[in-house]
Amino acid sequence: MEQKKDGEDRLPRCSLCSRPSVIRLRDPDRHLCADHFCEDLAGRVKKTVYLSAMIAEGDRIAVAFSGGKDSTALLLVLNDLLPSWRDVTLVAITVDEGIAGYRDETVQCAENIAKEWGIEHHVVSFSSLFRRDLDRILEGREELACSICGILRRKALSSAAEGAGATKIATGHNLDDEAQSVLMNALRGDLARFVRDSSSPFGQCFIPRIKPLREISEKEIAVYLMVRGYFPELPECPYTRYALRAGVRAHLSALEFRHPGTMQNLIAGKQRLATTLAPVLSGSPITTCRECGEPCSGTTCQACDLLKKILP
Amino acid sequence: MDTGACTIGGLLSRLGINPLEVVVSVNGRIAPEDTLLGSDDLIRIIRIAHGG
Repeated sequence: MEQKKDGEDRLPRCSLCSRPSVIRLRDPDRHLCADHFCEDLAGRVKKTVYLSAMIAEGDRIAVAFSGGKDSTALLLVLNDLLPSWRDVTLVAITVDEGIAGYRDETVQCAENIAKEWGIEHHVVSFSSLFRRDLDRILEGREELACSICGILRRKALSSAAEGAGATKIATGHNLDDEAQSVLMNALRGDLARFVRDSSSPFGQCFIPRIKPLREISEKEIAVYLMVRGYFPELPECPYTRYALRAGVRAHLSALEFRHPGTMQNLIAGKQRLATTLAPVLSGSPITTCRECGEPCSGTTCQACDLLKKILP
Repeated sequence: MDTGACTIGGLLSRLGINPLEVVVSVNGRIAPEDTLLGSDDLIRIIRIAHGG
């Protein structure tokens, strides 16, 4: 018998048709071809969005769109699912922190994709909002890069989303990110964050945040983008090496490989714990920052506190 | 490297790579870990975990 070209006959077959599989998923165990996998993934995102009532009629959703893989997948899936909701619109928002050798390329990539898909796109920069780019802000504080960047990026995103008239902010956090955050909060002993996160009803943002990809693994997102021809092969953020997340990611990923389901179990355990701890760790009531008007738990928000310290 | 009679998962294991952190293409096609490799296959291992 003649062998099929390029060893195609050695590829496992899709459980739903006879085409070559691109991925094997569990629960239930199944092989899926490119088309069935994209359909499967979009269906699971839609289910997550519906079950948590993340999107309502008339919403204008600001998608935090860095141009990296997670936010590209998020924008692509939401854009495809738009006809599922009445009168819902998307606006993509890219935060340019000002990181030499990294962000220029991803911002360009984001601009190209938004233009190709015809999605309204806004770029907001640290230098215009905070008078300095991240590289300058971090001089001598590189080891704090991720926490400083995270605080300022959230503020930049909130400000841009508000300016764009958004009613929701969607971020590309995936299953791996969510599990890593649980473990990081545990390692830091930060019980308050166990209960409150940026998407909880008590999140420190006027505009509710949603995470439609929270049940999709990082690997699934990569395969999804590759088969659709949008996987961005971009440089890595130079500050990643300072992040606790980098170490947590590697360990957790190894555990997930050896013990499948670890990440989902960790998140489910955290949710059960949060329900029990919420009344005990309710913390200070939410007030309004006297500097910028954003919600906060003290007199000023984290971002204004930080800006006062680093930009006297 | 001789990859005959070996799966993608087996190859990654020999290389000490966690399959959850990469996507592998065989002769230009994305392929799952239980794909059996041939000795003449062109294999590309793409790292997916990036910070930022």
